[in-house]
Amino acid sequence: MVSLARKNLLHDRLRFVITVAGVAFAVTLVLVQVGLFLGLLGKATVTIENSSADIWVTSRETPNVDFAHSFPETTVLRVRGVAGVERADNAIVQFMNIMLPSGAEEGCLVYGLEDFSSWNLPWDVESGDPTELRRGDFILMDRSAERRFGPFAVGEYREILGHRFKIIGATRQAASFTTAPVVFMDFRRAQGLQQTVHNKTSYILVKVAPGHDKAQVAARIRAVTPYNDVYTREEWAARSRNYWVVSTGLGMNMGITVFLGILVGIVVVAQTLYTSAVEHVKEFGTVKAIGGSNWDIYKILGEQALIAAVVGYTIGAAMSFGMRPLLAQLHLNVLVSPQFAATVFAGTVLMCLGAAMLSFKRVAGIDPALVFRA
Amino acid sequence: MNAMLACCDRDAERERDATSLREVLAVEDVRKTFVEGSQKVEVLRGVSLAVDQGEVVALEGPSGSGKTTLLSIMGCILTPSAGRIRVAGREVSGDESALRDVRKRSIGFVFQQYNLFPALTAQENVEYALNVKGVRGRGAAAEAARVLELVGLGDRKRFLPRDLSGGQKQRVAIARALAGAPEVLLADEPTANLDTAVGTQILELFQKLAKDENKGLVIVTHDPKVRNVADRVVGIRDGRLSNPQEH
Repeated sequence: MVSLARKNLLHDRLRFVITVAGVAFAVTLVLVQVGLFLGLLGKATVTIENSSADIWVTSRETPNVDFAHSFPETTVLRVRGVAGVERADNAIVQFMNIMLPSGAEEGCLVYGLEDFSSWNLPWDVESGDPTELRRGDFILMDRSAERRFGPFAVGEYREILGHRFKIIGATRQAASFTTAPVVFMDFRRAQGLQQTVHNKTSYILVKVAPGHDKAQVAARIRAVTPYNDVYTREEWAARSRNYWVVSTGLGMNMGITVFLGILVGIVVVAQTLYTSAVEHVKEFGTVKAIGGSNWDIYKILGEQALIAAVVGYTIGAAMSFGMRPLLAQLHLNVLVSPQFAATVFAGTVLMCLGAAMLSFKRVAGIDPALVFRA
Repeated sequence: MNAMLACCDRDAERERDATSLREVLAVEDVRKTFVEGSQKVEVLRGVSLAVDQGEVVALEGPSGSGKTTLLSIMGCILTPSAGRIRVAGREVSGDESALRDVRKRSIGFVFQQYNLFPALTAQENVEYALNVKGVRGRGAAAEAARVLELVGLGDRKRFLPRDLSGGQKQRVAIARALAGAPEVLLADEPTANLDTAVGTQILELFQKLAKDENKGLVIVTHDPKVRNVADRVVGIRDGRLSNPQEH
């Protein structure tokens, strides 16, 4: 079957290139911007998702994992008594000042636990042993800290809130949404560093015993901790993410970016297809004169839009993936899951078909009698 | 008595069948009125014309006489305000899908400006028209090749319109009109953009095709050469046929 749509599209190469470039630009904009956003958002929940805690007990109205408030550490005893709880431990997550060799003072996010290995924290250890942390004034520092703090080596010392700690190892992938570098230390030492957390904890991490339902155990914990909030891992990750998306306006910002990307795509595709339709109006009149219907012409415009969508998406996606290593060098993670890529593809097809529909009205009114006009 | 009546009925039926076989296009007392602002303009005022298989009819008239409107009505592109149209023995109703169906099955157009698809080769131009008419695949390719051979363009099948001369373009347009074996060919000033020699060749081709392929052919024209190939020349003036004559 002869494809007038494809032939016409390729016949006017410049217009085809402009159309495809418009779609590719929109696709790249959406994939990279939203991918960066998702990559950034991943940092907001990376510790929640990598720890083995099924349930997190927090102080009331804690907005996200980084901004913890403290509550009595003895609460953990009540939680340990709840049916279905296999293990429950206190955890401190607290911003603290760290003194750098240069004399500058910076902020870091301290994670303090009594037994790190029971909670899969830290989950990616470059060097050192987390179980050693409880044996002295030791810390593990995440390698990403080098961007803010400068290079560090195992065996060096750093002062946190006036206390000297020896770096006994390095971790990878541990990050916070606020970009404050993550440092791991023993729970009691972290507690002792700051007056506000004496005899207190930031969270209680809970592991549910096999055979018990997470939601039901969470409900039981809620019943015995009336002054706390209790979340399953998924709920807590969603709350932490939503805080940054909603409270900071990042979600709105991203929505505007996606909207602009789609708008650019629609304008470019609609403009080029409409111009093309106007220029080919006599051809469409001929199609009608030889027995074609409006539907035959819609199919031509729809096929052209579909080709522009597929080619534009392929180029846009290739550009986005090509940019990932470059952005990674800038420590920017573009997170594009297969589902997200598929969603963008479906959106691109809809965008192009929607743009093509703007030309439908123009071609629907074509009088086939115009073929007799010189 | 009854047997005699039945016999007469059969004779009349046979006569009707013979008539409908011979006549491929007929318009009867066709009128067309356009509304321009508050004014009604009557472009066709009771036109009747019939075209038979293998017949070439030339339709002549000055600008504004109504010949293109009549051609559009005969081609089922326009509906008349009053009157009847019969194409290939079938009464045509005013319904757009019915008109389209008649255009697909029974009518082939040849235009003054050729109206070829510039992005398609000669073969594809014909094949696409067949696709629109519902003929697909190898059948369409074979039929397109056949009609291009018929118009003498067997060696130009892969050429784009821009690489063809005016005469060759018009031959492609004729091949496209022939594709799908319509009973009627309607040509609008087919020689207007061609020089005398090429124009004569095209008219001779039209005449040959009408006879060999048994098509009813109506040519709207200002070109006096058409008189040489037409079986009948019909004049139109102020929306009325003026001088129907045998040639």
